[in-house]
Amino acid sequence: MKRRGKDGPTPRFSRGSDKLASGLAIAAFALLVGFVSVPLLSLVIWTVDKGAWRAMASPVAVDALLLSVRTTSITMAILLVVGTPAAYILARADFRGNRVVNTLIDVPVVLPPSAAGIALLLAFGRLGLVGKYLDAFGVTISFTTAAVVMAEVFVAAPFYIRQAATGFSAVDQTVEEAALVDGAGRSTVFFKVTVPLALPALVSGALTAWARALGEFGATIIFAGSFRGVTQTIPLAIFAEFHRDLDAAVALSVLVLGFAFAVILAVRYLTAGATTHEA
Amino acid sequence: MVLVGPTGCGQSSANSGSDGGDKKQGGTLTLFAASSLIDAFGELAKTFEKQNEGVEVKQSFESSSTLLTQIQQGAPADVFASAAQEEMNTAVQDGLVAGEPEVFVKNREIIMVPNDNPAGITEFRDVADPGVKLALAQKDVPAADYAIEILGKANARYGSDFKKDVLSNVVSREADVRASVNRVVVGDADATFGYKSDYTPDIRDRVKVVEIPSGLNIIATYPIAALKDANDPELAKKWVDLVTSDEGQRVLEKWNFEPAA
Repeated sequence: MKRRGKDGPTPRFSRGSDKLASGLAIAAFALLVGFVSVPLLSLVIWTVDKGAWRAMASPVAVDALLLSVRTTSITMAILLVVGTPAAYILARADFRGNRVVNTLIDVPVVLPPSAAGIALLLAFGRLGLVGKYLDAFGVTISFTTAAVVMAEVFVAAPFYIRQAATGFSAVDQTVEEAALVDGAGRSTVFFKVTVPLALPALVSGALTAWARALGEFGATIIFAGSFRGVTQTIPLAIFAEFHRDLDAAVALSVLVLGFAFAVILAVRYLTAGATTHEA
Repeated sequence: MVLVGPTGCGQSSANSGSDGGDKKQGGTLTLFAASSLIDAFGELAKTFEKQNEGVEVKQSFESSSTLLTQIQQGAPADVFASAAQEEMNTAVQDGLVAGEPEVFVKNREIIMVPNDNPAGITEFRDVADPGVKLALAQKDVPAADYAIEILGKANARYGSDFKKDVLSNVVSREADVRASVNRVVVGDADATFGYKSDYTPDIRDRVKVVEIPSGLNIIATYPIAALKDANDPELAKKWVDLVTSDEGQRVLEKWNFEPAA
């Protein structure tokens, strides 16, 4: 509850400057909405205008979409399985070097993706730090779909782990302790109490990470290369088509726009029941 | 036509005031050149800047097909140097070129393999061996188009499946020829098609060359031309003159190109 009365004095601002301030805020809002929607609209208009729809059914587009669906799904599965417990430890455990690990996890966020690609190449390429030992066992990662997933996990992980850890920290520890006292096992408490309470943060973290993985370009093209059906995800296909056929590049962009929109809507809808009580 | 753009800004400020009549010294020359020219043109740019005091040479090196697209879309370029006739012909047809393009240099293709040669490629026909990881520039990049042409000719010598077998070995299509060569330099690709001029001194300790039989090889001819919308036509012409001069040809030969004549 706010203590300030309804008709208390409004210091510093007169009515007129209040109006000016809200006018400016509305203008800023309109500017932002226009700035975001005009380019998106341009994509759709071009597609309709030039009949670029057909390019969406081209083998390049279909292969790229399927590959993007496949790689981002695997990426998300890895992030949920590995990232969730890791985030819980980051949020709860008080160990030496916690701060260092925290910073390290955030590095891929500020690292340009192309630099991430070079780093992955020097680590896991055939002559790389780890890659040369893998190569000795006949395992090669370059130019495979596995390399695409690794690039996506590398750049997307911090987005999920960071938000999940924040979500876990916000869960009241006394609730967990109460459940433990009642005789529930640690893992039961985690899955039945902690995760449901942190769910909104987990969902929004997962969505951000998925979006980042879907848009991944720089690390993928440098580390994994570009080949239809194997490593050429939608962003790479857009880049390749831009050099040859602008209509196809536009169609692919619309395709990925629609796909991303559909996934975000679906997740929001499916998790609405579970998350509304928090917001 | 007024060209605006990130590089255009620098040009217009450098040239402001020169419209009136008396030409000031200085200015900027913007070159759009095939990525295989990066070393030779880099060296020539220094010579050019020495010869023309106050002039700054800006260069953009990408695949000829990418450069053509950019020029068609109004990118601020003074000179276009292409690794193939096709891109230059299109530029001429689109009315983007001032005067006649000149062939200034020739090139050949080679196969490059990493020094430790994991796929054991010792002669050209080995690139068709199953399991070879071949990197290739993407479609419409001259280096890749030439490679396809060579493979087409090779079918007659090595059997009608040769081209198909080689293309089934491709693991990545790269944005330009230098990106493709770098796949071999870092050791991840077993082989790539590149130009003889791409075998530069700084990669010689990491890469080995496998020659393509001369009967199958192509001769890449590189045309150069000043562009119609050049910001400084005089500088553009001077650059073309330098590249075709004895001095320019010497530098190009030093970087493994073959003289045009």
